[in-house]
Amino acid sequence: MGATFTSFYFLCFYACILIIYYLIPRKTQWVFLLLSGIAYYLLSGNGILILYPVGACLAAYIGICIMDRTESVKGKRAAMAGVVLLLIGSLFVLKYVNFGINTINGIAGLFGAEAAVLGGLKFMVPLGISFYTFSVLGFVIDVYNGIAVPQRNFFKLALYGMYFPSILSGPILRYREDGEQFFTPHPFNYREVTFGLQRMVWGFFKTLVISERMRLVVDTVYGNYGDYPGAYIWLATVCYAFQLYTNFSGCMDIVLGMSQTFGIRLPENFETPFFAKNISEYWRKWHITLGVWMKEYVFYPLLRTGTFTRLSKKMRERFGKKRGKQFTTFLAMFALWFAVGIWHGGNWKYVIGSGLLHWFYIVSGELLTPFFDKFMARFRIDPKKRLVNIFRILRTFFLVNIGFVFFRADSTADAFHMLKGAVSVWNAGILFDGSVFTLGLDFIEFTIAAGSLLILLSVSVMQQKESVRERIEKKKLPIRWMIWYALLFYTILLGNYGPGYSAAEFIYQGF
Amino acid sequence: MSREEVFDTLNEVFRDVFDDESIMVNEATTSDDIEDWDSLEHINLIAAVEQEFGVKFTMGQVVTMKNVGEMADIIMSQI
Repeated sequence: MGATFTSFYFLCFYACILIIYYLIPRKTQWVFLLLSGIAYYLLSGNGILILYPVGACLAAYIGICIMDRTESVKGKRAAMAGVVLLLIGSLFVLKYVNFGINTINGIAGLFGAEAAVLGGLKFMVPLGISFYTFSVLGFVIDVYNGIAVPQRNFFKLALYGMYFPSILSGPILRYREDGEQFFTPHPFNYREVTFGLQRMVWGFFKTLVISERMRLVVDTVYGNYGDYPGAYIWLATVCYAFQLYTNFSGCMDIVLGMSQTFGIRLPENFETPFFAKNISEYWRKWHITLGVWMKEYVFYPLLRTGTFTRLSKKMRERFGKKRGKQFTTFLAMFALWFAVGIWHGGNWKYVIGSGLLHWFYIVSGELLTPFFDKFMARFRIDPKKRLVNIFRILRTFFLVNIGFVFFRADSTADAFHMLKGAVSVWNAGILFDGSVFTLGLDFIEFTIAAGSLLILLSVSVMQQKESVRERIEKKKLPIRWMIWYALLFYTILLGNYGPGYSAAEFIYQGF
Repeated sequence: MSREEVFDTLNEVFRDVFDDESIMVNEATTSDDIEDWDSLEHINLIAAVEQEFGVKFTMGQVVTMKNVGEMADIIMSQI
């Protein structure tokens, strides 16, 4: 069938599930969703790999049962630590062993080793491992911390861990907030179902019309960057920013919309991230559920360890309150950003592009804030002025794009070569002499892409004030229908499809 | 210690942590009301409150605390 939500076969599968879901007795809806999740996983790839998410849910279930039954703090801690070690251990072995091996080989190469010191290992990695592992782990840790109610039914826990709309690409779930609704009966609600379907159409529009067009330009330039220096690289990188955003957020619109048709609300993962005025704000708007997970289960616990508390005290005594506090926070943030980067994959390009580079930005921002403030005061620039905010948005977008060069390039070395190529050749003229129409999109295709991006921008601006779906809902029936059918046909007619009427894989399904 | 006294002390801690003498916290104050109260400062604030009152917040309380009123409830339950 293929795992991609945009595939024709998947849409047939989903339509059958939706119809049956509202025809069967409501008490059995959750069982049906679990069975659908299992069927989806089995049909999506190598069926035997389903044993991994099932194993993860089983480990979590056993751990939670032990924590639920024992009064001993030590026993609870041992059960929680056991599950954490098992799940993180399997994630590490499946996704990151080769990262360690490649890094050791790279270091050995620097010291003159001609052949690889260690041989790489090959594993079949289950789909969505980074997403279901984090959702399940968060639940186990929350039970340990006493803020989530233990789930005593293994099959219910398995539904939470293997809920088919979110298992492959997220959002990362939080049982204490999202869990119970999976098991409550959901009567057919016309508004919820139509709202969900509308959101899915919006997701298809973003993915098929915009992302797939951007991909053509990006693949051309990034695949042959030696032939496309200077402005080509900048243009392709900006296109990649929109490709990735529309691909991932479009996928989330489909996931959240699909889930809404079942009466289940999942957490939002995006909130117009390219309108962020600084990097910290960007990360509160981009892949929100990953950021929240990392904050709650990596950053806070790390800062509250005895080692960090003692270090913080020592640093404050030595460097004063402000600098001492900053030192330990920056150190913990380094671990946090390393974790965010490596979550995307065992490759330095992810560690740098989506992790440590952003750490560097935030730390630099914190340290330079007093100088910026003085500069603004000296030249009497009002920080609240619209023009200043636009400058901040563009600056943040530029910085994020540098990270995207690493994220998209084939390797870290390629990323550095591309950045060098981007600044060493001045050829801005190619943006105006028609050269851009040779990158995979001709004039008409380029115009469609630009027009669609304009629609996306307008909707994003409107969304800041009020839900666009609710706004359309208030309009008269013919106008309402016209808007949604126009979007649907626009997507059907102008969507870029691959073989089997399926767009390229969602980028985040690889994680 | 009365609830008012807890809030008086909390005011001092907040002013010290966020370096802002104008801060006045109440039951409903949240991180949205104080500009610098972000995830980076949250743990520093928690550590300062723990030190001042001689209390200990659990990790669950650290992540689920919704406003200063809840913070005061936890402090009151431990002193």
